Amino acid sequence: MYKYMSYVWMSLAVLFVQIFILDNINIGASVAIWMRPMIFPLIVLLLPTEWKMIWVIVVAYVTGYIMDISLGGEGLYAATLLPIAVIRPWLLYLTTHRSLEADGQSHLLLRLNVRQLMTYIAAALLVHHALFFFMEVLSFGDVVRLMLTIVLSTLMSLLIGWFVVRLFISKVLVK
Amino acid sequence: MHRLVEFFRRIYVVLIFLLLEGIALWQYATSSPYTEAKIFARTTAIGGAISGMVSDVEHFFSLPEENRRLTRRVAELEAVRVQEEEIIASMMLDSLALKAYSEQDANFRFSAARVSSSTSNRKRNYIILDRGAGDCMKVNMGVMTPERYMVGYVTSCSEHYSVVEPIINDKFSTGGRLIDSVANNFYCSITWDAKSRYHALASDISVNVDIAEGMTIEVSSERMPRGVVVGTIESYDINSAQTAYSARVKLAADMSAVDNVIVVESVHYDEIGTLIKDDEK
Repeated sequence: MYKYMSYVWMSLAVLFVQIFILDNINIGASVAIWMRPMIFPLIVLLLPTEWKMIWVIVVAYVTGYIMDISLGGEGLYAATLLPIAVIRPWLLYLTTHRSLEADGQSHLLLRLNVRQLMTYIAAALLVHHALFFFMEVLSFGDVVRLMLTIVLSTLMSLLIGWFVVRLFISKVLVK
Repeated sequence: MHRLVEFFRRIYVVLIFLLLEGIALWQYATSSPYTEAKIFARTTAIGGAISGMVSDVEHFFSLPEENRRLTRRVAELEAVRVQEEEIIASMMLDSLALKAYSEQDANFRFSAARVSSSTSNRKRNYIILDRGAGDCMKVNMGVMTPERYMVGYVTSCSEHYSVVEPIINDKFSTGGRLIDSVANNFYCSITWDAKSRYHALASDISVNVDIAEGMTIEVSSERMPRGVVVGTIESYDINSAQTAYSARVKLAADMSAVDNVIVVESVHYDEIGTLIKDDEK
């Protein structure tokens, strides 16, 4: 249990940043409709690989539930984060050609180069943001705007999330 | 039971995922009228699409039975079509008989028949008609084409078929009549010499006839009405005793191509026959 405490602190920190900082920055409505950075999927993406899938799913649901309660998502956050928990092994394999089952994630993430790690994080954030924004509008009426929102938000999330990832690797995994 | 537990143990992750995802989606779907309407519309559309696919698959597997049903239906319709074609053909034949009938044929009854089979390359040729005793066919009825060209006489009948002895049978014999330019009738005998299917012989023609090539010879018989043409004189000759002409007659009807025919019944044929027998006594 003790060895996972760093993951708990990391998760709480990410949730704190997401809820109290990223969702409260007043960047203007005209910008906010195009860019809504979401880094909370990192909690699921950076979980240890030795964990069974069932625990990853539970963590994803709890994270999404907290987000829903905190930001009034009414199930939207949980519904869009759960699929990321399920496809995480395939995403990692597709983007890095390395299997999660073959090794512990701490070692695996350490052995990935910057490009591979960024591809994995970016692909997962893109899938999550696509699901999230589509579920939010439930329409393909303005598909260009929807695509732009997804892409710009993913880029912004990746930009902010990348610092979290590097910090996590250097402060948690390298220990 | 053990297998069931094992099965659930294998898929419990999927079940848990579906359960949690379902809870979250339900929570989101019921959060506002907009999401409720939108998600309901989407699920209805997806349900409809799946239902459509299932229906297509069911339809695909029901195709053999449908094919068998259609084949049966085609067979039934084909039978009806053939039946109707026969009725129409019969009506057309009857109309042929009506067309061939004229006022001077008051003592004759006309009916139509179709040739079932025929021969034309033997010495004793026959024609089989598709009407028999069951259709009021009788022996000694005359047979002609709808154009009133002589074909032959009925020689025997079964229930559904009749045999006709045509002109091109070496046993055939009937009376003939030449009509000259001043409407005088001169009688002769018509027979066949088995040399050509397109020609017959006219013999015992009076020397008083102003005979010429191209003259028309009609049938002269109590079994046939007036105006039934045998053919035209192609060549003629006088016998050595200088007492009669004999002529080679080009037949009006092509015996190898006869199809629909008119069968002629003389109403008074039996009466005439009795009269002749009484006279011979």
